[in-house]
Amino acid sequence: MSETTAKPTAPSEPIITVRGMSKYFDDFEALRDVSLDINRSEVLCLIGPSGSGKSTLLRCLNFLEAYDGGEVRLEGELIGWREGVSNPRKPVGAKTLRDQRQHIGMVFQQFNLWPHLTALENVAEALVQVKGMSKAAAHEKARAALAKVNLSDKTANYPANLSGGQQQRVAIARAIAMEPTVMLFDEPTSALDPELVGEVLAVMKEMAAEGMTMVVVTHEMGFAAHVADRVAFLDSGRLVACVPPADIFGREPDDPRIRSFLQTYRERNVV
Amino acid sequence: MDLDLFIRYGPALLSGFGVTILCWLVGSVGGLVLGFVLACFYRWGAAPLRWLISAYVEIIRGTPFMIQLFILYYGGPYVGLILSPLQAGILSFIIYGSPYFAEIFRGGFNAIPVGQIEAARCVGLSEMRILRRIILPQMLVPITAPLTNFFIILTKETAILSVVTVPELLYETQTMAAETFTYVEPFLVLSVFYWLMVLATSWLGGRVEARVTRHLKRV
Repeated sequence: MSETTAKPTAPSEPIITVRGMSKYFDDFEALRDVSLDINRSEVLCLIGPSGSGKSTLLRCLNFLEAYDGGEVRLEGELIGWREGVSNPRKPVGAKTLRDQRQHIGMVFQQFNLWPHLTALENVAEALVQVKGMSKAAAHEKARAALAKVNLSDKTANYPANLSGGQQQRVAIARAIAMEPTVMLFDEPTSALDPELVGEVLAVMKEMAAEGMTMVVVTHEMGFAAHVADRVAFLDSGRLVACVPPADIFGREPDDPRIRSFLQTYRERNVV
Repeated sequence: MDLDLFIRYGPALLSGFGVTILCWLVGSVGGLVLGFVLACFYRWGAAPLRWLISAYVEIIRGTPFMIQLFILYYGGPYVGLILSPLQAGILSFIIYGSPYFAEIFRGGFNAIPVGQIEAARCVGLSEMRILRRIILPQMLVPITAPLTNFFIILTKETAILSVVTVPELLYETQTMAAETFTYVEPFLVLSVFYWLMVLATSWLGGRVEARVTRHLKRV
């Protein structure tokens, strides 16, 4: 139960800062005044009831959703919006946004591999098309990334011939091959059969141990409890708490919303 | 069956067949390209442009090809557009086909899950590269069959060009029939010619489909 992940270093230097972020979908307020820091080499898990804004918050970090109010900074650089332009804000140019996104890896619930490309080609695609590497160098790097997720024997497979867990590991390889500063995971195991969840979580644990900065939206409370450095709990678009996992899982949480959320998990785990 | 007739009219029929193939190929490939451009502008263009394209699609699809051809060929000179029958035929063929092609491409664009495009944006691929490397190769899967279908429909639509005296297959066949008072044999030959075009098209479509669906095979 009490496995601990040893980290090389864990200095508390913020790599992402979120300040006063709000997001609306028409009239629906998806996020309200969210502020948090994510430190280098930190694993931050976002948990909360469905519809609480976890995925929206994650998707605002790389501007897949344009947040309305507040700001997101990655190593000081404002993400998505033009610095110093307000009323109305203007998004940065397409090229700038692409440059910013290259530093933010993302893994999706539905894997989102490109089915017409092999595992190797999925990983190598952006290395060639975005980083301008030669095909040979890109393939070498892609092979190394696939080896990291234990898929050296599946490089020539198309996604249709990979299990869900293997597809998700290819998706992780595709992201880490770009050498991002931070990795975002949007419910990476929610679409997987239970017996395949473990292989994906194992890869993520290894990445955490190697010091990758990770923001993980998850329903895997075990992962949040044992791998996360901090756990952020969202409810109705508000950040209720952002605390070490022990404060949520180790004792009875003070906040009634967190208590009732965890209660549903406890009930399900008692068979 | 009078073989003599076919020896006499053979060259004319073959020339008609050649003109039919020319009109069909240039017209339908031109329509395909125009349709693709329309579909791209519809997907990525500003709202007023989308309305214009929608209106164009509705008008062209909503009127008979023969009327469009008449308007272009007989109405063109009133606005200074004087075209030979062949030019008018091919140009109207391009215009006629383009909205159908545009709709096929629009459907193809929609068939690509948005998550795949988000994943491409997340690794920094540009929209142009996403179109070329992610969307196009995949949308060939759902659109190859409808494209083949429409190319086949268009083979036979070329016959309408005969009404503005384009010397294509039907025009030559009708000439032969009128001059010799034989009807069954010339039109049988005409059917065989169209059938050959259809056969070739569906064979080619099948080959393309096999090529673009390789990645879907399970091993």
